[in-house]
Amino acid sequence: MPRVSNWQLGRDMEYPYEGSRPKRQFCMIMDTNKCIACQSCTIACKSTWTWGKGQEYMLWNNIETKPFGFYPTGWDVNVLDRLSEQSWDGDTYAGKTLFEAAPDGERVLGWTPDEEDWNYPNIGEDEPTGDADTVPYLEDAPHSMMWMYYLQRICNHCTYPACVAACPREAIYKRPEDGVVLVDQERCRGYQECLTACPYKKTMFNLETRVSEKCIGCYPKLEQGLQTQCTTACIGRLRLTNYLSRPDEIDPRKPADYLVHVKRIALPLYPQLGLEPNVYYVPPVHVPVDYLTQMFGPGVEQAIATYRNAKDDPELLGLLMLFGSTERIIDTFDVKDGVARGYDEEGKEIVAVPLREPTFVRPLEFATELAGEPATGFRHNT
Amino acid sequence: MSEKTITRRDALLGAGAIGAVGAGALAGAGVIGLVGSEEPAGEPVVVAAFRSGGIPVEDPAAAAWDDAPEATVPLAAQQVAPPRLPYAGVADLRVRALHDGETVAFRLQWEDAEVSDLDGVHRFHDAVAVMLPTRAGTPPAITMGAAGSPTHILQWRATWERDLAGKTGVDQLYPRVVHDVMPDDVLPPATARLYWVGRAAGNPLSQKERTTPIEQIVAEGFGTTTHLPRDDARGHGVHDGSSWTVALGFPSRREGIGAPLDPGLTWSVAFAVWIGEQANRGGRKHYANWVPFRLAARA
Repeated sequence: MPRVSNWQLGRDMEYPYEGSRPKRQFCMIMDTNKCIACQSCTIACKSTWTWGKGQEYMLWNNIETKPFGFYPTGWDVNVLDRLSEQSWDGDTYAGKTLFEAAPDGERVLGWTPDEEDWNYPNIGEDEPTGDADTVPYLEDAPHSMMWMYYLQRICNHCTYPACVAACPREAIYKRPEDGVVLVDQERCRGYQECLTACPYKKTMFNLETRVSEKCIGCYPKLEQGLQTQCTTACIGRLRLTNYLSRPDEIDPRKPADYLVHVKRIALPLYPQLGLEPNVYYVPPVHVPVDYLTQMFGPGVEQAIATYRNAKDDPELLGLLMLFGSTERIIDTFDVKDGVARGYDEEGKEIVAVPLREPTFVRPLEFATELAGEPATGFRHNT
Repeated sequence: MSEKTITRRDALLGAGAIGAVGAGALAGAGVIGLVGSEEPAGEPVVVAAFRSGGIPVEDPAAAAWDDAPEATVPLAAQQVAPPRLPYAGVADLRVRALHDGETVAFRLQWEDAEVSDLDGVHRFHDAVAVMLPTRAGTPPAITMGAAGSPTHILQWRATWERDLAGKTGVDQLYPRVVHDVMPDDVLPPATARLYWVGRAAGNPLSQKERTTPIEQIVAEGFGTTTHLPRDDARGHGVHDGSSWTVALGFPSRREGIGAPLDPGLTWSVAFAVWIGEQANRGGRKHYANWVPFRLAARA
C-alpha cells in the first residue's frame, strides 16, 4: 500500500492511493466557543441542497451537543471503540489509523450505522454531563464537572478521504483545484461502502435516486469566490470558509494558514483516524482537556491558551473579527491601526472591521436635564 | 432430463480461474471430466436447449423450461478482491437455458427465504447476474473480465421489479411518511428534476421509469461496470416464499456488444447472486465460476 504524508499525525501513513494534494484545500474554521446551536447553518444547507424527496433524513450540516449528541447516533464513540485505545508520542501519532487498522479484506476500519441511527439528529441536545453519579447515558463518565458544548459538523473534505478509499468504483473524487470531495452522481451504483468507511458519517444514501450524496462544499459558491451557505447564515459569526495552503507553502497572510499552522488555535477533528480532515475547530475553553485531546489531538491546551490571550493579540483578534463579516472568501488579511481588513486574490480590500467599535457615554446630567427631571439616573426610550 | 452437478472445488478451479491458472489447461485437466456422468467428458455443463415457437423470457413458471436440462452450479463468497463477502449465504444456483436461434434465455433459481426489493439506508436488494464472454473460446478472467477482454453481463434486481410496478422510493420504504413541501410541488418539472441529482445526471440506477428489470452491462474487470443504454433484454422474477426464480432473455446476435452466441462455438457462462438482507451488494456477492456453455443445434 502506498505511503502518504499526513502532517496532522507528524508522520507518513498507509493509504490505498498515492498522495496527491490539491492546489489548495477548501477548509472551514469553526470557533466552537461562539455557537448557540440555533441551527441556522443546518437550515441554510437543508433549504439549499437537501430538500428533495429522498433526502428527508439528510443533514449535510448538523450541530450536535457534545458529549451526548450524535448524528448519526453514536458515530464517533463507535469508531473510537473499534479503533480501540491508541496513543500520541508528543505531536507524533504513535497509534494506528483507520487505514492501518483495516481488517483483512477491507480498505478501511469502518462502522455501519443502523437505519434508525439516522433518525434522531437532536438526541442528547443541550444535555451536560451533569454529576458522574447521575449521568443519563454513560455509567462511567470521565469526570463530574457540568459541561457541554456544540460541535459544528460538515464533510471534512479530507486530504485522505475514507469514502474515496472504500469506493470500489472510484465514483468519489477530490477536485485538484480546491480539494472538495464529490460523489460522481452518474457513476455511483449505490453500494454504500462510503457510508461504512467514512468515520464522520458524512456520506448519505438518497432514498429516491439510490446513490450516495454528500456535502459539496457549496462549490458553485466557491467558484464565485463566495463562502458556503452554512458560513454566511451563521448568526454567531463563528465560521470561516477558506483555503489551506499545502504544508510546504504556508503563508501567514492567509487566514486559514495563520489559524491552523501559525497560531495553531484551530485543530482537526479526530486527526488520529488518519484522514487529514479539513474542518478545523477552535476548541471550547471550558471542557476538560482529556476529552478535547481525544477529539482534537495533542494541541488542545496550547490552542486554548492562545485563544484566551486573543484580547492581547490584535492580529489574532482582528482575524477572528473578520469571521462572518463578508460573504466573499478572504484570501489574505492584515490588522493595522485597530482595523482588520480582508483582501481578495487581487489584493483588493473586500472588508474592514474595527477591533473596537466607537463608544459614546452620555453624561448622567445630560440625559436627565434635557428631560427636565431631577438627576436620578439614565432615562431610556423617552 | 439429465441433471449435471459440478462441485464447488471444480468451480473454484474452473476454466478462467483468476490468476496464473490458464483456462485452456484446466479445460483439459479438470472441470469437464468431472461433469455428471451422463454428459460425456468434454461436453458443456450448461446447455441451452433449442425450442421453436417462442421463449418464455418473462415467465419463469412456463412449462417450456422443462425442456431444458438443469445444471446446479455452486456459489462461493467473493473473496478475491475488496470489498469482499465474509461468508456465503446461499450454496448453489440452479440453471436452465433455452434458445430459439434469435433469443437466448436463462432461468435461475436460488434459495432466499426473504424478499429484499427496496433500496434504503443499509438496505439492499436481491439480485442475480449472468456473465458471458464477448468472444467465443477461452473466457476472460472471472473478475468480470480484464482490460482488453470484456464481459457481457445481464443483471436482474428485485428493486427493478418494484420499479416496474411503480412501488419504490420513500413512500414505499416508509408508508406513513409525511412530506413537507417537495421540489415537484412548487417548481416546474424541469427544475424540480435537478433536486434528484442522480436522475438528472442520467444515472441508470436512479431512473424509476423503466421497461425491463434487466440491465445490460459490459465490464473489463471489477469496478468497471458500464451500463448499456438498451432495453432488449427482458425478464421477470417470482418469489415463492423460499426461493427466487428468475427468467431472463436477450437477442443472441448481441449487436454492439459482442460476437453472436452461435451454437457451433464454444462458450462459457458465469453467475452471481446477491442476498439483500445479508447486505450483499457490488463486490460483496456470491459468484459461480465460468462453466462451459453450449447452445444446442436447431432441432
